[in-house]
Amino acid sequence: MGVTILLSYPVPENKTGPQTVDLLIKRIGALGAVQSGQFLVDCETFSSGPTMGGPPRTVHVLHNSEQPAAVFALLESPGPPPKTVPLVADGLFDLLMLKMSSIYASKKQTRMEARGTRFEIADFLVKIGTVTMSSNFKGVLVEVEYRPCFIAGNCWELMREFMQSFLGSVVQNTPPPYFQVHNRLNDVYQPLDTIQQYLDHFASYRKVAGL
Amino acid sequence: MSAYSVNISVEAPVENQIQEITYDGQEIYTPPLTMSEHLTKLAQKIDFAKCGPEELNKEITEIDKNEDEAEQSTAPPLWPWDSVRNKLRNALTEVSVLADVLSIAKDKHYMVLDPVPQEPPELKPMVQVYARKKALAGAASVLLSGADRLKNLQAEALRNRTTPDFHIELLRLRQNFRLKKVSNSIVGDLSYRTAGSKFAQNGTFEVTKAEEDGDSPLSPPCSPNASLSNKPTSALRVTVPSELQGVAFIKVFFQKDQDSLTAAQLNLPSSSTANAIPDMYWQPKLEAAQNVLFCKELFNQLAKDAVQLQSPIPHIVVGNQIIASVLPGIQLVIGLCHSGVSTDGKTAVVPPSSNGHDHVLEHSLHQLLRELHHKNTHHPFPHPSSGPIGPSKRRRLAGPCAADREELMQMTQSETMLEQVIKQAQHINLRDRTLFVLDRLAKDIKDPLITSHWNALNSPTQSCVKINIVAHMYDTICRTSLLIHVNETTLKCITRDGRVIHMSYESQELRDFIMCQVYLHQMTAVQNLAKCMGWQCLANSAQLGVGAVEPFGNASSCVLASPTGERLISVRCEPKSGVHVTIAQSPRKDFFPGQLVKERKWENLGGSFKEVRWDKMEGKNFLNKMELLMASLTSS
Repeated sequence: MGVTILLSYPVPENKTGPQTVDLLIKRIGALGAVQSGQFLVDCETFSSGPTMGGPPRTVHVLHNSEQPAAVFALLESPGPPPKTVPLVADGLFDLLMLKMSSIYASKKQTRMEARGTRFEIADFLVKIGTVTMSSNFKGVLVEVEYRPCFIAGNCWELMREFMQSFLGSVVQNTPPPYFQVHNRLNDVYQPLDTIQQYLDHFASYRKVAGL
Repeated sequence: MSAYSVNISVEAPVENQIQEITYDGQEIYTPPLTMSEHLTKLAQKIDFAKCGPEELNKEITEIDKNEDEAEQSTAPPLWPWDSVRNKLRNALTEVSVLADVLSIAKDKHYMVLDPVPQEPPELKPMVQVYARKKALAGAASVLLSGADRLKNLQAEALRNRTTPDFHIELLRLRQNFRLKKVSNSIVGDLSYRTAGSKFAQNGTFEVTKAEEDGDSPLSPPCSPNASLSNKPTSALRVTVPSELQGVAFIKVFFQKDQDSLTAAQLNLPSSSTANAIPDMYWQPKLEAAQNVLFCKELFNQLAKDAVQLQSPIPHIVVGNQIIASVLPGIQLVIGLCHSGVSTDGKTAVVPPSSNGHDHVLEHSLHQLLRELHHKNTHHPFPHPSSGPIGPSKRRRLAGPCAADREELMQMTQSETMLEQVIKQAQHINLRDRTLFVLDRLAKDIKDPLITSHWNALNSPTQSCVKINIVAHMYDTICRTSLLIHVNETTLKCITRDGRVIHMSYESQELRDFIMCQVYLHQMTAVQNLAKCMGWQCLANSAQLGVGAVEPFGNASSCVLASPTGERLISVRCEPKSGVHVTIAQSPRKDFFPGQLVKERKWENLGGSFKEVRWDKMEGKNFLNKMELLMASLTSS
């Protein structure tokens, strides 16, 4: 498990989502990447009912195919100050959420998924996937993992250069906002960081849908 | 009935009443009552005295009336007590008549009772004698039979000192084996299922009481020696299934390639078949049967592994043998030897086997299966209070620790028993090879001395040897130590300067490496010696690029100068051909001014090197010779 950076690739105006994905796959293939299976990250959102009292709380339950045995849950506490309580549990947590359906109800129409193909190229792991919200296309996400390193700050330059080689100017010269906001650049990278990046992107896609 | 009441059913006891107890303690029961007898018995319990005579009379008149009606109608009896009532009524009538007669006769007015004269009974003395005799004989027979029983008991108690009681033995058996009663027989289980085995074959045996055949109860007191000399007889007899009878063991040995690829049926040596007698004492018999079952399970498991394992050279399972290749040219043969009381009465033919049996591997095979059993029953602690029991602690933590795919894949991999045994076999082979090479080198090379120390503590798949290279008498000047880790198929050598060299199982590699180390040692030792002697090392090279190409390693050399600088010694070590020593001196004695070098001062340049005839040198070993050479060159 190395440092992972997640980027949203904007779909050009005259192209569809699948066409964009095909273009990226062609580019990464030209660099010599080898396809190695599929990946799936899904996010289900539960919100508390009136029985809890107080303002409604939201729990995001995420699964990542890279960590098949784990379930990630992020509880958004309204605060003040607003904070997020993360939890990593095993597969039984899903059953626990079903038991708590009287308190936390699932919002089926907000279920989001990033699904696509996984590529390996030397020490990098590249995942190119489409994001869907209840089977509506939302956008394209590119995940790049540099496996030998655990500190994002140490390998950002290397990863930036690699990503710019096939994503072009989409990649900013500064590290993604997630690392700067949470000050995670010089900490040991954890699987939860990947999940939080996904959640941030999913949330921004939802806002776009609201417009 | 209140809420707290309890229903109690009252029933007659199931046992019959005891009618009589005879003198010898035997109890004679009354036969159970039939339905009608039971009814009459109940009828007897009716208390007729309760009804007074007036009531009775009233009743009788009523009954008479009823009877008349009943007779007229000739209807069937209305209630079950009908016949009883009739009889009672008859009896009452008779008794009333008798009472009337007695009351009349008492007054002696109308009736007088006269005694009837009776003739006296005639006495027959002989009959009395016979009757007494018969009674006495009956009493005597009762006493005799009682005495007989006591004698028998005593005799049995005497015998029991040598052969324990059936029940005591059953108790002992019960302490060691699982027994249960199925209808009239006792069935036991000798399988390892309670210990965690999942082998399908069941190991049931039957326990019966041994009949005492031809063993008269009177003989033990008169011939105690005969019973002692007998083999320990038992009141128990166990019957094990025929496939578990006999003796079995797992034979493990190594086979050189092309030795014999014929799949010969492995057989037991005939000596061990002798003790497969059918009427053994139950304990060794059951233990032998248990061992047979264990060996069968072990072989079964190994055969299953051998079929499933994917290896470059497939493992062969033929008959009662598994052949697995360990190293190129060496195969491991695991065989199941089982000599039963064969049904066809065929005696085992022993092939002249030159292969030794590897007891260490057999032991580790047994150990591996027991570990497997243990793992089946003992789950790693702590268990979660929720969630399934069984997965390892690492697997349980995989969720909360967010383990990725690779880690999860690693957790699923486990070594089968056959793989582990093959690894151990590989290690044993490689260790033996290394041992052989080192011993051979130590024997062949006398200068310097090679000593090897094997670590006493090692694991089944790794051992460690330390090698010291020293010269005799010069061990303080230079000592070269090496450490060699012997793994399954590779050797890892760590030299003193920290270099790590990996070698394969080919013993030539190790041999060459040690040879290189020996010559490297000689060069280092010479330089250390030179320092002690006050000589100066001008140049040295461990890997010399000039000269003939060596088949392995490189030649090494050094140039030494005497304290005055007038004498030079050059040493060249070649792993193939040994050591060459050449000397030069300046001013050279054979300097003659020529056309090019005319002046006398050039004689100080040093002349050509001349080789020393090393085998003619004085000295016990190389370093000794070098010391003498340096000493002589310094002084002259």
